[in-house]
Amino acid sequence: MNAPEPRFRISRHRRTAWLGSGLAAVLSVIGLLVSWLNPGIHAPLKPGLDFTGGTQIQLERSCAAGGCSAISAPDIQRALASLTLPAEPGESSPNLGNASVQVLDQGQSLVLRLQDLNPGQASALVQEMQAIAGPLNPESISVDTIGPTLGQQLLKGSVVSLVVSFIGIAAYITFRYDGVFAFLALFTLGHDVLITCGAFAWLGLIAGVEVDSLFAVSLITVAGYSVTDTVVVFDRIREQRTTLADLPLSEQVDVAVDATLTRSLYTSFTTLLPLLGLIFFGGASLFWFAVALTIGIAVGSWSSIGVAPTLLPVLAKSKV
Amino acid sequence: MARQQGWLALILALAIASAALVLNVPPPLGLDLQGGSQLTLQVMPSGAIKKVEKEQLESVKEVLDRRINGLGVSEATLQTVGNDQLVLQLPGEQDPSRAAKVLGTTALLEFRAQKPGTDSEMQGLLKLKRQATAALVQTEIKDSTDPGAADSAPVKIKAEELAKALEALGIAVPPGSSQTESLELLLSTVNQKIVALFEPSELTGKDLVGAGRQQQQAGSGWDVTLSFNRQGGEKFAALTKNIAGTGRLLGIVLDGRSISEASVGPQFQAAGITGGAASITGNFTADESRDLEVQLKGGSLPLPVKVIEQRSIGATLGTENVRRSLVAALSGLALVAVFMVVVYRLPGVVAVLALALYSLFNLAIYSLIPVTLTLPGIAGFILSIGMAVDANVLIFERVKEELRSGNTLIRSIDTGFSLAFSSIIDGHVTGLISCIALFALGTGLVKGFAVTLAIGLLLSLFTALTCSRTILRVLMSYAALRQPTYFLPATQLPAKAS
Repeated sequence: MNAPEPRFRISRHRRTAWLGSGLAAVLSVIGLLVSWLNPGIHAPLKPGLDFTGGTQIQLERSCAAGGCSAISAPDIQRALASLTLPAEPGESSPNLGNASVQVLDQGQSLVLRLQDLNPGQASALVQEMQAIAGPLNPESISVDTIGPTLGQQLLKGSVVSLVVSFIGIAAYITFRYDGVFAFLALFTLGHDVLITCGAFAWLGLIAGVEVDSLFAVSLITVAGYSVTDTVVVFDRIREQRTTLADLPLSEQVDVAVDATLTRSLYTSFTTLLPLLGLIFFGGASLFWFAVALTIGIAVGSWSSIGVAPTLLPVLAKSKV
Repeated sequence: MARQQGWLALILALAIASAALVLNVPPPLGLDLQGGSQLTLQVMPSGAIKKVEKEQLESVKEVLDRRINGLGVSEATLQTVGNDQLVLQLPGEQDPSRAAKVLGTTALLEFRAQKPGTDSEMQGLLKLKRQATAALVQTEIKDSTDPGAADSAPVKIKAEELAKALEALGIAVPPGSSQTESLELLLSTVNQKIVALFEPSELTGKDLVGAGRQQQQAGSGWDVTLSFNRQGGEKFAALTKNIAGTGRLLGIVLDGRSISEASVGPQFQAAGITGGAASITGNFTADESRDLEVQLKGGSLPLPVKVIEQRSIGATLGTENVRRSLVAALSGLALVAVFMVVVYRLPGVVAVLALALYSLFNLAIYSLIPVTLTLPGIAGFILSIGMAVDANVLIFERVKEELRSGNTLIRSIDTGFSLAFSSIIDGHVTGLISCIALFALGTGLVKGFAVTLAIGLLLSLFTALTCSRTILRVLMSYAALRQPTYFLPATQLPAKAS
């Protein structure tokens, strides 16, 4: 069988590909470090309520037709500081002076972030808010409280499930392919996860975006997709080992990437379509989740074309 | 051909059954979609128990189940999580503070006899308790009405007495406390001191068989009535016989706080109070008496619990979430469908059919298991659509390749399916590995995502490899449809050897 002439030779562009990925990775690491050194964040990614613990109360004001009466965050903060909530026996009443207040949608909705309150205190606070910023729409109130120990537990659970799923995937690839493939699959996976995290480190620094348990879920999903994408290319290379045995490995890689290129692009595109649906129509709760997945899947698709296959000849050569 | 028709019949039967199931038993919606509250309760180790074990968790759950039944909250569910946590779901309930209070307190009821020779100290404390309680009622009335109109004279007098009493008891009031706070502090200290004047007792809430409540004949308060089992009745008789006529009081202590102190008249000196019934006169409000009744009926908690997580969401927000997720899922699906038909022509149409079946089967499985749909769960489903489409893309790209290299249509289809198989399997297995890790180690929200994604991955293997293939083969049995140009633009086909 004649070797098909690839329309697109990835090996000719491999330096550009490596440079691009390297730059993105370095930028990500810088983002994570800057975020860590930032006294306001003090962590590689800005942790959200899920990981820090605390109470978040979201209120919607029911405004008259003419729009909502003006209300400012500092005013609410002052009003909160003077409140005394019922204390539990043996504990002092929570200090509301350091609450953070966000006014959204032209004063129509409010987000309060406080230390963790028990359900009785949260309910009392909502009552007090009626007087401060009322009338409130009783059907549109949401209260989330995460105890400090639970926050630690969620963080630990997220990290452990990330690590375990990486190990599981590595074991499977080693079993189906060989060590070099497994290493490269994990390497690209790390590349994709790093860049997704880096993007969110920058988002946290610039726009105050926080990461929650859903972000951990999106990282694991990105990891799964990244491996799937890479494996499709590797599967093709393995399949050609017999038919194209007389060609050098880098040529084989070019043929395989070319043959799977359409599939890689189409698949990423069709996965991104529902995600774009989530971003535009899915509402606030899933917005950043969808953004994380969009970034991760786009990067994953890129790395399965430009990073993993081009590194294969380098690694396989050094191994021989 | 018979085999294909068999498969087609099976797929049709499954589709009809699924549709019937989904219409009759829609998948249950999570609290984030229908509105309601979810509380996570952490069982705390206490005393001799350093680590909470499964059996202790179960015994806590039994007590809480009884209390929930007593509260009469409809559709509330309580589930154990791990070794030391419980998750309580209250659909439709936006303010879980009452449930949290009723469930969260230990409710250990004790009947104790006053220590001999502590009369004068006890009388002093009881007087202080009455004064503090009265003053507290007054400040509450004053707080709730116009402060200018209220007569503040009695409160003023109390303020001086209050400071004196606090000092005498050695209580340091934190600076900046309001009068109400100081009074509450005084009251709780006094109650603790009163408890210390009672002897430990053998008679506890364990010896109860029932509890009830009744309105006081004079006044507006409520009493809580108790009935003891046989053993408890005997203990109660013995206890009251001991102190009858001595002036020593009978203390009713709940969770280390004295809630009522009663004297036992000399007429009970012979046999004590028999009959196995008693009532607590604690001047309860209607709600307080009802909550205490529920707690006493349910029994006391073997270990203390603490609310470590609360998630409450209003019903409007919930329906808004459902609407938005539906729009997102449908618009995503519609865009994918258009893309597939434009790019892959006839097989694209087949893929869209397979995807429709795929969505239907997913919903049917959610109804069947049942899987409670949450926001992350819907996200998992939307993502699994991507995976399902990927399988079809892999197959059809392979079919196109085979056609380009000059194979016949039927042969290309068969080869396409079999060659794409290994990469489809690899992709799905790695996805499933992630799901297993998430499900085993993740928490509630994360689990919902892992479950729908895993179901989606398993189903997509079935729909891509079986449904797409069967529909395509059946269509290929019609000569009119066996046109390579229905698969590829004519320009990409190899020139026919003439």
